[in-house]
Amino acid sequence: MFGRVEEGARPARLDRDRGLVEAARRDPSRFDALYRKYLAQVYSYAYYELRDHHAAEDATGRVFMQALVGLPRFEERVDAFIASRIPAGEADSAELSTFRVWLFRIARNVIANERRRDRRRPVSSLDEVAEFSAPGDVVDAAAAREAVGAAWEAVSRLPEDRRRAVILRFVDEMSTAEIAAVLGRSEGAVRVLLHRALRSVADDLRGRLS
Amino acid sequence: MLGDGTRDARRTERYLDELMAADERRSPGIPVDVDLDPAVRFAAGELSTGLVRVHPSFRFEDALASRLSAAAARLKAGLPAEEYLPLPAGVLAEFPSRAGHAAGATEPAGHAAGSAGATGPAAALRRLPERAGHPSRPLIMGGVGVGVASAALSLGAVYVAWRHSHPASGRMARAARAAHGRTGQSSQHRRTGVINGILGVVS
Repeated sequence: MFGRVEEGARPARLDRDRGLVEAARRDPSRFDALYRKYLAQVYSYAYYELRDHHAAEDATGRVFMQALVGLPRFEERVDAFIASRIPAGEADSAELSTFRVWLFRIARNVIANERRRDRRRPVSSLDEVAEFSAPGDVVDAAAAREAVGAAWEAVSRLPEDRRRAVILRFVDEMSTAEIAAVLGRSEGAVRVLLHRALRSVADDLRGRLS
Repeated sequence: MLGDGTRDARRTERYLDELMAADERRSPGIPVDVDLDPAVRFAAGELSTGLVRVHPSFRFEDALASRLSAAAARLKAGLPAEEYLPLPAGVLAEFPSRAGHAAGATEPAGHAAGSAGATGPAAALRRLPERAGHPSRPLIMGGVGVGVASAALSLGAVYVAWRHSHPASGRMARAARAAHGRTGQSSQHRRTGVINGILGVVS
């Protein structure tokens, strides 16, 4: 379990969220800063996975509530699994957030439960997403809408594990090490997942264009 | 020795890292890797443009922030994070049992003491036949809105029943009854029957 002290674990000395996490631990009302920082990332992950605005809001609420309650049990440590997959020195480069990985592990579980509960959830259109991405003029908006729609369609046809890896990489901008930690896979497996996902998406998009 | 698949996957990863870094720098130049599979490069470009991050509504953001703030205050006070767990929609809930009411276990002291000769909507409800006050059917609760509306309608119906069984005794009321000929017992019974019908009372 991430967040617990495990044998072989070592602290990530410059975790970029350390200050915020420590403040929230001392005073739970300071959790707000972490919440504001990661709200869009968690919500986006939930929205792309659940494809329903209300379900994504419910899941996001549960994720942050669980994180708030569980924060005293979280320990800023890189467990042996992650440590073995981080290149030397990278854990000290302030690029890694063990808190973010921990938060997304909660999100992954909450969303998996949500999907299990309602496998027949209707798939919503992506009009809402397209509008977020296209605040400019009409031509730009139409082009952006088309790009978003095509990307969404292609990604939604991917197998579950590839789709998750793609969303974490492109939407939440996670590194391979972070995705591996969130999904509980090896870094090499995540690399292969992403590579295959991109090839599938390329085939899909080209098929649509032709 | 790396296999072709592993080597390609590593190359893809490097390309994605460069793409992400270029995006962070807001650099218009797209990284070029001539050895990378063009299909992968094409798909990466499309996905980095198309997969946008979505922000929830500000109303939701503020509502959740308030909820978390309240939960944080409770945690600070050593209480559970959430005050109560809302009843999920569609749960069946039984009315209090007859035995419980007879024993006065849940009834407020004031109501129990005044039950003998009391007047008013609550007392009228107690005087109605048993089935009206304590139906044996379970009640389907469809959420807070439905529950409140249902309670308001029930109280309204009880109040109307009480008003019909206690006609006003003022001079103006007597004059009005005389003018409209509403003193007849048959008319009174008919209206009460209709109201009892609404309430599901069997007489």
